[in-house]
Amino acid sequence: MTTLSLRHDGPGTATVPGPRRRVTGLVLALVALLAVLVLSVMIGSTTIAPSVVWDALFHPSADIDQFAIRDYRLPRTIVGLVVGAALGVAGALIQALTRNPLADPGILGLHAGASFAVTVAVGLLGVRDIAGYMWFAFAGALIVTLMVLALGATRQGQSPTVMVLAGVCVGAVLRGAGSALELTNPDAFDAMRSWNAGSIVGRPLDLVWPILPFLAVALILAVAVAGPLNAMAMGDDLAVAQGVRLARTRVLAIIALTLLVGGATAIAGPIGFAGLMVPHVARWIVGPHQRWIFAYSVVLAPILLLASDILGRIIMHPSEIPVGIVTAFVGAPVLIALVRRKKASGL
Amino acid sequence: MDFGRRVLVLRHRRISVRLERRSVVVCAVLALAAAGMAVLALMTGSYQLSPGQVVSALTGGETGLVHDIVVEWRLPRVAAALVFGAALGVSGAVFQSMLRNPLADPGIIGFSQGSYTGALIVILVVNGTYMQLVGGALLGGMATAVAVYVLAHRGGVQGFRLIVVGIGLSAMLDSLNTWLILQADLEVAMAAAAWGAGSLNGVSWDQVVLGGACITVLLLLAGMLSRPMRQLELGDDAAASQGVRASPVRLGLIVVGVALTATVTAASGPIAFISLLAPQIARRLTRTAGITLAPAAFVGALLCLAADYIAQHIAPTPLPVGIITIMLGGGYLGWLLFTEARK
Amino acid sequence: MHKTPLARRGTALVAALLSTTLVLTACGSDGADTGGTAAGETRTVTGGNGTIQVPADPKRVATIGNTTLPFIDMGGKPVGVTEVGASELGLIPAEQKATFEAATNLGSSGDQVDMEKLAGLKPDLILAQLPGSEFEQIKKQLESIAPTVFWGLDVEWKALADGVSAAGNVTAGLTEQKAKFKDKIAKIQQTYGQIIGATKFVNVDRWESSDPGTFSIADFGCVEIAQGDLGIDFPRAAAGADPLGWTALPFEQIAGLSKYDVITYPVDAAGRPKAPFAPVVATNTWKALPAVNSGRALGVFCPGNNSYGPVLQYLDSLDTALATLPAKE
Repeated sequence: MTTLSLRHDGPGTATVPGPRRRVTGLVLALVALLAVLVLSVMIGSTTIAPSVVWDALFHPSADIDQFAIRDYRLPRTIVGLVVGAALGVAGALIQALTRNPLADPGILGLHAGASFAVTVAVGLLGVRDIAGYMWFAFAGALIVTLMVLALGATRQGQSPTVMVLAGVCVGAVLRGAGSALELTNPDAFDAMRSWNAGSIVGRPLDLVWPILPFLAVALILAVAVAGPLNAMAMGDDLAVAQGVRLARTRVLAIIALTLLVGGATAIAGPIGFAGLMVPHVARWIVGPHQRWIFAYSVVLAPILLLASDILGRIIMHPSEIPVGIVTAFVGAPVLIALVRRKKASGL
Repeated sequence: MDFGRRVLVLRHRRISVRLERRSVVVCAVLALAAAGMAVLALMTGSYQLSPGQVVSALTGGETGLVHDIVVEWRLPRVAAALVFGAALGVSGAVFQSMLRNPLADPGIIGFSQGSYTGALIVILVVNGTYMQLVGGALLGGMATAVAVYVLAHRGGVQGFRLIVVGIGLSAMLDSLNTWLILQADLEVAMAAAAWGAGSLNGVSWDQVVLGGACITVLLLLAGMLSRPMRQLELGDDAAASQGVRASPVRLGLIVVGVALTATVTAASGPIAFISLLAPQIARRLTRTAGITLAPAAFVGALLCLAADYIAQHIAPTPLPVGIITIMLGGGYLGWLLFTEARK
Repeated sequence: MHKTPLARRGTALVAALLSTTLVLTACGSDGADTGGTAAGETRTVTGGNGTIQVPADPKRVATIGNTTLPFIDMGGKPVGVTEVGASELGLIPAEQKATFEAATNLGSSGDQVDMEKLAGLKPDLILAQLPGSEFEQIKKQLESIAPTVFWGLDVEWKALADGVSAAGNVTAGLTEQKAKFKDKIAKIQQTYGQIIGATKFVNVDRWESSDPGTFSIADFGCVEIAQGDLGIDFPRAAAGADPLGWTALPFEQIAGLSKYDVITYPVDAAGRPKAPFAPVVATNTWKALPAVNSGRALGVFCPGNNSYGPVLQYLDSLDTALATLPAKE
């Protein structure tokens, strides 16, 4: 994993579009999201006529094909929307907080923590189903955040750079311990290779509801710290001059980040790339304005996730590829093409 | 620039080597420590042997199983840990110096992910032999490194783009690796994952000799590039004023750094964190400002050997060495942070 | 830097080869080194690694990879074993589990075997079934410890049972098991011959590693016996293609099972759907399947498929299940 702490203020700053174009762009993105949502219900590994899809949603009966819509496609679409939105905002938060446009929501060790907790649950406690993994994953992410906050505390308060390093350290130790458990326990290995791929399939909605309040709280926190984070982008001193309370903003941002990544990972397993790429690209589009970056990320990330999921349903027919695997294959070429198109930008 | 530092200058015809005395002392101490660790590793094992038996096996006085255990099993493993560790240390030093970033390592250009992909394809798809595995890992890693370099090249390679392209390609390969592991039979997948964690299990003389030969050549090349490398650390312009051309030197450094990691990865899987840690520790020990190669090599060797000792004899069950290095590395950095932050 | 002494390596290699030969030939002459072979007699057996001289009555057998459970099933008591997953261990009889736990654990898988620990056990025979490429890596080390008989993963279970029993000298258990197997096959074919001939079966499964929300049409494991020995019509992969069971199918495709007459699915010893399979049974799609509604979805218990003991349990379970099928008009 690459963990560089770079400063990079976005090369597009000079040609940032005006407010009207930002609104138009956002509306277009929303339309695209709507289209992806509809497609996600329409397309699957079995062919179901649009009329049956319509009936399944609005005239439910016990027809065997209707179950496919109501029990599988609709839930995975909702899960994709929720997880994608959470990861998008989480990525925007971490990139603003660390002032590193290439930070990944897992950079503080949250994925490693969630993954390690699930490995312990499988390997040592004999937990065997997705419902059981969920709370372990959430708890793992929370505990890692506490460790990172403790390790990253300096005399001046929480320094983002130090916290990122702390995240790398905690993540490395946990990943090592997790591998040790997996490689000596075939059952744990077997379960973890699937969970670690990251998927939004087979997560019944009644498992997902309890996580939603946490995500909602996190989203409110994220919006609340967007202004202060904007000010902090110009430098800590300037932010303090504008009345921003640095320590409080950072801690609130970290809490929001933990709830978002912890919640998303609990539901879907570690999905890495979307949270890195989407806010990064959003920043290229709208410039360094946190609220706009949040708004774009919350819409663009579910588009990436659901489009990847739809692709994953059809390219290996009759089998499917977990969305966590497809996302990188859809997103990375876009990212590479974008970075090649841009004019050389200094570090 | 050597304010108050004692410098030894050895001259032999046209080659002059400037050695800082502290570095020499540090290297000597590290070499001694590594030798001590090697003796300990040769003496220890789950098969009970007396020190006398070990010594007699080493001097050719034993036959049969005792000879095999000492000379064919333990000795190549110790040799591999030392040689591979040194190679990783130097490789990390080269990358950290080149990218002027203390957290850089060859992973940045997707090499480990690529070689893991190559190895996975050989293990899981082709079901190939050991030599094919070596070839697959090398090919995968090199192809990835080249792809990153080519994709990032647009009127010159520029750091930020190199990193973004590296992240993108690594993410794709990570996904591919996860998928390959997911598709495979459990037993085979676990063997592949153990390789992916970096393991010196079952290392034989063939691997040590072949790998050692490659590494020796590469270390010599790295030594030749070390002076222009130090000058590049001061910036391209400063280096240019001293007659160092940045681009060819940088390409040479990338090739040497990648090839060192490649050799180790091909022989034993990607052993994590040594390339990141060794230059850091070496720098602290020698108290130099820049990155120096020799101390990094010695630290890497000692680190790898000690980690393998822990993996084999101290962990509750024998583990791949890479698991210990990643935990040691994380722990060391964490401790460093904890103490630094409170200074 | 450690330089490899090339010269010494040469001699070491020669010595290693010599000592390997010595150990192999020594089985006949030097009883002290190989543990309990009282008279030091040897037999010759054939494995995937050629013809091997093994002790006539091996006392200290180490089993690596898939040979462990078959050897224990035939009454063998290994001194050293490699890890077996808890899910597999949970299915074998208690006394066999005790035998497994009494043996020294040598490591998680074939390529992670702790060679010195193995050597320290002083085994007189090593039995191994693992991927060929993994065996190549540890072959030399194993053979320098004790005579080693190897089978690749492509060896059929009956051949493996024959081989393990011959090499490990546990033939008494095998003869009895084989006779029971033959009787059982004949009985099932006789009783259900008509149903078997006229019915389209499908076998579905789900494992702990399966992604949530997916299942498989499984064509390996116990179902191979129903297919091969009983001639029941289960779907199978085209020749040369990957087994069907490797393809994880999303739950949506449960609806596609409508086209089969009878569905078999995995249950535990008590007859409840196996834990990883339970989510399939819980879906509305499964409950809406014609076969499920008409009592033609049969739970079958498969504790293992690479030795006669578990296979016999499977056939018993299949026998009981087939008996519940409503008669076809």
